[in-house]
Amino acid sequence: MLSRGAMVAATATSNFCIRPYNRPSLHDITLFLSSFNRLKTSQVASAKPGALRVSSSRPISAMANAAGNGSGKAAAPLLSDADELINSVETFIFDCDGVIWKGDSLIAGVPETLDMLRSKGKRLVFVTNNSTKSRKQYGKKFETLGLTVGEEEIFASSFAAAAYLESIDFPRDKKDDGDKRIELKPGFLLEQDKDVGAVVVGFDRYVNYYKIQYGTLCIRENPGCLFIATNRDAVTHLTDAQEWAGGGSMVGALRGSTQKEPIVVGKPSTFMMDYVSKKFQISKSQICMVGDRLDTDILFGQNGGCKTLLVLSGVTTLPMLQNPGNSIQPDFYTNKVSDLLIKKVANV
Amino acid sequence: MLSRGAMVAATATSNFCIRPYNRPSLHDITLFLSSFNRLKTSQVASAKPGALRVSSSRPISAMANAAGNGSGKAAAPLLSDADELINSVETFIFDCDGVIWKGDSLIAGVPETLDMLRSKVYVIGEIGILKELELAGFKYLGGPDDGDKRIELKPGFLLEQDKDVGAVVVGFDRYVNYYKIQYGTLCIRENPGCLFIATNRDAVTHLTDAQEWAGGGSMVGALRGSTQKEPIVVGKPSTFMMDYVSKKFQISKSQICMVGDRLDTDILFGQNGGCKTLLVLSGVTTLPMLQNPGNSIQPDFYTNKVSDLLIKKVANV
Repeated sequence: MLSRGAMVAATATSNFCIRPYNRPSLHDITLFLSSFNRLKTSQVASAKPGALRVSSSRPISAMANAAGNGSGKAAAPLLSDADELINSVETFIFDCDGVIWKGDSLIAGVPETLDMLRSKGKRLVFVTNNSTKSRKQYGKKFETLGLTVGEEEIFASSFAAAAYLESIDFPRDKKDDGDKRIELKPGFLLEQDKDVGAVVVGFDRYVNYYKIQYGTLCIRENPGCLFIATNRDAVTHLTDAQEWAGGGSMVGALRGSTQKEPIVVGKPSTFMMDYVSKKFQISKSQICMVGDRLDTDILFGQNGGCKTLLVLSGVTTLPMLQNPGNSIQPDFYTNKVSDLLIKKVANV
Repeated sequence: MLSRGAMVAATATSNFCIRPYNRPSLHDITLFLSSFNRLKTSQVASAKPGALRVSSSRPISAMANAAGNGSGKAAAPLLSDADELINSVETFIFDCDGVIWKGDSLIAGVPETLDMLRSKVYVIGEIGILKELELAGFKYLGGPDDGDKRIELKPGFLLEQDKDVGAVVVGFDRYVNYYKIQYGTLCIRENPGCLFIATNRDAVTHLTDAQEWAGGGSMVGALRGSTQKEPIVVGKPSTFMMDYVSKKFQISKSQICMVGDRLDTDILFGQNGGCKTLLVLSGVTTLPMLQNPGNSIQPDFYTNKVSDLLIKKVANV
């Protein structure tokens, strides 16, 4: 169990304190916390993208060789035989933004592809760094888009933080700090709650100086106070029209004022991967991670020892993947998720 | 002249008016820009070589022609004070042949000049930055006024940044909010060559006597997080201000003593600049902090407070 697990201050919106429809069981929470502790002791200090490069002991698959790619650290081949990939794993983990949907628009062919995978007995899991919605809210989003996805299949970095809050009986009436201002008058003192044992930082469109200062005081002055980040994404796709500064900026603000590195629970940290594999009792080599971002999704999959499939329907373009400066190569790349449905050897 | 993205003088604000009496002279600006140039080329990998060379083709001369000419329509004077002309108008219309190019050859210095005339600065910070930029003749956007701006994350909503912003300056800002973070992020990520400049990266600052406050380092940290770029730091411990001061007053750095209360800004600043350093214990640093084995920054001397310079004599020891 975590020490000083009394109370947590969150810098997210007032929607942060969520009650998932399916309350995590004590088993879930124990699972979570043991993964969390392992994370804390082994990976904490330098949980930066790229820092957790997986070992090179993963064999290059026969498929890659057949595609003409025989070198050691090879450039990712275009997926040609979807069936072989599908048959080689039991579980598909999908990132959401840029893979399943873009903003509020479903990406073409996704429903049929998910149905096909389910009909083949594959387990589907959805993992997102976007901490603005709860699992229930994500469930609704899936439903609105015509997808049949259960809340128990969704893992957002908000869940990771929320499960922890649940385990320490965090008060339900979270105050809204979005409109709080500070008065820099002589003698004015902003006092933080001395019982705060962890500060959780995620994407927050209502970030302001009050919150930055409050979180800073907790981390700097409350002994043993943890600094937890749901994710450090530089940009995020909140609308379909453009990129938006992501959770990485809120976390960056607290890094700047505390000069401390956070414990990252979202991708590319393997925290959620460990949780999922333990919860569903699946071995990681039986998982294929499907995502649109190299430094979060693909790295997440690689760090976890899974197969990785990059889709070009989101933020990463082919030039970006093939850029000599890019060192993150997925096992395969393809245009979009629905290629799993149509790409058969016969069709190539 | 300056390349795109540098902090530059641009067209006046819509309220263009007589410049303040004590506005920086062209000499001051030349000094500033040559220090800035050195800072930029030594700290920023992407600087274009020679891009910030100040043009030497315009002599600074008295308006002798106008003064001595008695006929009706005075002979046109040689342009001497470019800033005054630039600040007096909002738009430049350029003829092309013989002005921008000659045949198929670009006339020297044109790209830099056009860039200089266009660039604006987006400020995440408070009124001090705005005032200094104004005094130096720069056009800025942002500042405290953006503190009340909000964004609407609706489908199709587009926040468009001014494409002419050539630099984002980030300093302490008690009104920081997501709008500003996003605006600055868009400028740095999408405007080609846009500079990311930080006034300082202090983790905490002492705004009131009662406690420490999250400093400029947090606003800068937010932009580092979203752009994944390192800023050009102009404040301590960067030596930029040291270079400027020593050039302006024509003093050699070994002749300077830096007196400060912070090891990682003041003392490091002095050391980086090659000056003598004196730590005073009247501020944030305590003797245990100075003597902590984990501390690697050692000033030349330490003392309790500045007034010790008055009282501490060999005879008095």
